Amino acid sequence: MDIQNIQFDMTRPLPETQPWSKPFWEGTKQGKLLIQHCKDCNANIFYPRKVCPECWSRNMDWIEASGKAKVYMFSTAYDMVEPKFMADLPYTVAYVNLEEGIRMMTRIVECDPADIHIDMEVEVVFHKLNDDFYLPYFKPVKK
Amino acid sequence: MGNSSIAIIGIGEVPTRIMPERTRWDILYDVCMQAIQDSGLDKNDIEAVINVAPQAQPKLAAELSFGKLPEELGLKGCKDTCVCNAGGASTSNCIRLAEQYIASGIAEAVLIPHVTVHSTIPLEEQINFFAKAGVDMQWEYPFGTTYNILMGMMANRYMHETGAKPEHMASVVTALRSWASRDPNSFFYQKKVPTPQMVMESSLLNTPLHKRESNILGDGGSAMVVVSAQDAGKMNKPVAYKLGESVRYFSGTPVLRDFYKVAEGFSVTATEAMAEAGVTKDDISLWNIYMAYPMNHPIMAEALGVAPIGEGAKYFAEGRMSFGGDIPWSTIGDAPGRGHTGSGVSTAMYVETARQLMGKAGERQVKDCRYVYQNTAGGSGFNNIATVWGKEI
Repeated sequence: MDIQNIQFDMTRPLPETQPWSKPFWEGTKQGKLLIQHCKDCNANIFYPRKVCPECWSRNMDWIEASGKAKVYMFSTAYDMVEPKFMADLPYTVAYVNLEEGIRMMTRIVECDPADIHIDMEVEVVFHKLNDDFYLPYFKPVKK
Repeated sequence: MGNSSIAIIGIGEVPTRIMPERTRWDILYDVCMQAIQDSGLDKNDIEAVINVAPQAQPKLAAELSFGKLPEELGLKGCKDTCVCNAGGASTSNCIRLAEQYIASGIAEAVLIPHVTVHSTIPLEEQINFFAKAGVDMQWEYPFGTTYNILMGMMANRYMHETGAKPEHMASVVTALRSWASRDPNSFFYQKKVPTPQMVMESSLLNTPLHKRESNILGDGGSAMVVVSAQDAGKMNKPVAYKLGESVRYFSGTPVLRDFYKVAEGFSVTATEAMAEAGVTKDDISLWNIYMAYPMNHPIMAEALGVAPIGEGAKYFAEGRMSFGGDIPWSTIGDAPGRGHTGSGVSTAMYVETARQLMGKAGERQVKDCRYVYQNTAGGSGFNNIATVWGKEI
């Protein structure tokens, strides 16, 4: 098989949203990291749901996160990613724990991958995909 | 000893290879006929066919869903057929469904086949399928994650928690391949077993995962025949009785899957399955562990109490889980040793469990194999199904 002749879909994937997750993405456009919050049971929820997964309440709101987090686990990719992500290599995918008690997937940016470590303090930075979507990435906190 | 309601009485399998000339139906004919002949039943004794869902093969999935297999094989006694899909946990669910068919009187003998032919799936479709399967399309996929990256993250965390070194992690591949090199159905049959050093010298895909720590997609298939334990007991031949089972669901989206809860789930399901079977871990002859990637095997070894907490990877490095070691472990080499056949790796694992209990595993035969612990999991690890099988009730 001649891989050079294969036509890969190079379209950058956009988040496949649900009606109830749209405020999250609207927030990222404004530089805000919003977390869904249940006003009945006080749960902070990630990822956003139609009803609170803890108590099934529909009485939900959004709070703005501090944007501060710690790296829980990570891996830096050097090869074998989809062709549409090849141009980004090397890049680091991580789970980060936010101060608000939720965990999300992200990328760690603006640093040497060799410097990334578990429990590293990071803060949110928004990466533009297009006019509708900004992905929340995280970068090391400067001390 | 626990009660058993079903047993595997016949198995069939073809070697996992990259062989595009061997069609899906070629393989299905071969593995189904082998399993039925091995069971000692007549083809018309098969009263139901429950197919393990063929991932990334929509045309075959449709053919099997709409009832083609009993017709192709001329299974004149077949009363019903379906496809069951839970990713890598599909086979466990097929067996559960067979148990229900048998208990309710729908069928006395059930055929469970699987086939995957990756080599004729266009490369771009393969890449696209494995990039998206088991990953959330809103909260994970846009960040460029892959199965390899998910496993790499987990391995990094494990190494952080335990102090395990890259050479310890690499030694899991050596252990799995030591079994695979002796398995005629493995992609790596009679191939040189890589040392941990060779594993670490292969190219780095994503930290800490090297090329030799990932999977090769292969073509393969296997099948089994299941009947009631009562009927199996009358057959005067070696069979594999299902003795215990337990399961926990973790999460569909990997980021919501807590490292510690998964490890706890591995442990709890094993404890419950062994309790139902009426055995303890000291009774287990073979730990037939399905993790799809080598890097999670140490976590499972610790969760099962086979290795002390924090020392799972070191046990592999000491060769204890390798062929000839004192802890028989994943005797087909799991997916990294067998070659990855989608959901079919779990089918092959059950076939190996039965093969070992039937005493037909050749060079890999575990001495005095009486009880086998076998697990499966679906997707990127949304659950863990623990089972215990025995050669007698």
